[in-house]
Amino acid sequence: MKHLFGIIAVLSGMMATAQPNCNVFLYEGDTVKYNACQVLDERAGHYQFSREYQEACDRSLAIDSTFGYPYKIKSTAYLKSGDMITWMELMNKAVELNPKEYLSYRGWCRYQFFRDYEGAIADIEELDRLVDYDIGGSVNGDYHLEIARALCYKALDEKEKAASIIEEHISSEDYYQGLFDYLHLGVLYFDLGEYDKAQAAFTAQNDHNPLAETDFYRALCYEAQGNLDQAQEWMNSAYDKYQSQTRMLESYTHHEDKIYLADIERELERIQGQN
Amino acid sequence: MKLTVLSFSLLGVLIIASCTNQEQEVEQKPKYLRWVGDSVYDPEIDDPTFAVCHGEGMVKQYFNFSQGFKYNGERSTLLEKIYSRYEPVDVDESGWIRIRFVVNCKGQAGRFRLTQSDENYKERAFDQRISSQLMSIVQSLSGWALMPSAEKPEDYYLYLLFKIENGNITEVLP
Repeated sequence: MKHLFGIIAVLSGMMATAQPNCNVFLYEGDTVKYNACQVLDERAGHYQFSREYQEACDRSLAIDSTFGYPYKIKSTAYLKSGDMITWMELMNKAVELNPKEYLSYRGWCRYQFFRDYEGAIADIEELDRLVDYDIGGSVNGDYHLEIARALCYKALDEKEKAASIIEEHISSEDYYQGLFDYLHLGVLYFDLGEYDKAQAAFTAQNDHNPLAETDFYRALCYEAQGNLDQAQEWMNSAYDKYQSQTRMLESYTHHEDKIYLADIERELERIQGQN
Repeated sequence: MKLTVLSFSLLGVLIIASCTNQEQEVEQKPKYLRWVGDSVYDPEIDDPTFAVCHGEGMVKQYFNFSQGFKYNGERSTLLEKIYSRYEPVDVDESGWIRIRFVVNCKGQAGRFRLTQSDENYKERAFDQRISSQLMSIVQSLSGWALMPSAEKPEDYYLYLLFKIENGNITEVLP
């Protein structure tokens, strides 16, 4: 049951991209929106960047300019091409028309694609105020939006607040462990000098989803605790995992706390120099 | 007299028809290119020696290869180059600067395009000491990855997005 809630929470972020069932509008007696919805079928088989896809969205909006969904799906190509201006113009319209539906997407994307921490926090917290259900997950399915909110606070150098948001989230009844939750929590504890708690979080991360990043920060944590042998061992493990592609990968941008081979090699050399 | 009036009337009709045709031509001009974000070669600003390898219709997006953002020496190398070359400008200007370009099958970059916005995602022009400097830095970079592989490289669009806070770079995406 606990897992079911978690899956629903994560899926809800992805479902924000799913096309509405047009018949619902017909059932509600809104034939204009029904027709605008039906026109979107003309996108079928066309890439979201393509002229045909964009024009189908325009035709839908020409029928009903109060339909938020075409604004949202039209915006995605601009988002992925880095066009912050057009993307936000479109998403502002979608959110204005249906904030409960689209604040989640806009908030997450402000974080993922633009590192707009204040903007993402404002959207996620506004959504939380508006709804009495779980605010759900990120569009890419990697995070619950509470974790995303915590990462934004971390970036704004409010690390205690970030850690407490994650702590509260993972202790909630409906918690479902995300791909990187305990890694981020562990790094926060490490930054705050709470090394034992960091190690426990890294263990929880490794049990769920082993990553080079976890071993990298664990090694730094051991070093801070004065255990250079363990530090070297875990940094070697980070190196091996990295080389075998057991590491964070994001298709469009990059994850917080992601590391690179050069980081591992530099730290390995430094730790070996001390040991 | 009648002939003169008739001539002017005909001329008037022709002018109106001509204007209408021009309007129609403007209206008929496609609103979209092949794909969102495509850059058509512009002889005034683009390097004439830069060319895509597989035709304009085959240029993809960097993420179409499902490998994430790639750079020779990884993203950390790219950041090192950017931060070591960029000189912060002491101005009260913040927002984002996107530089979008094409990487061809030889790993060469071209057709650089600049987009600038303020912190509210509204179009703005940054101090040229920021925008021109970033454009020069990006244009000077090499090390663009061959994707999807060195054996069968394709052409793709890529962008670098700089988050600017008071003239400093605070984030580089993707």
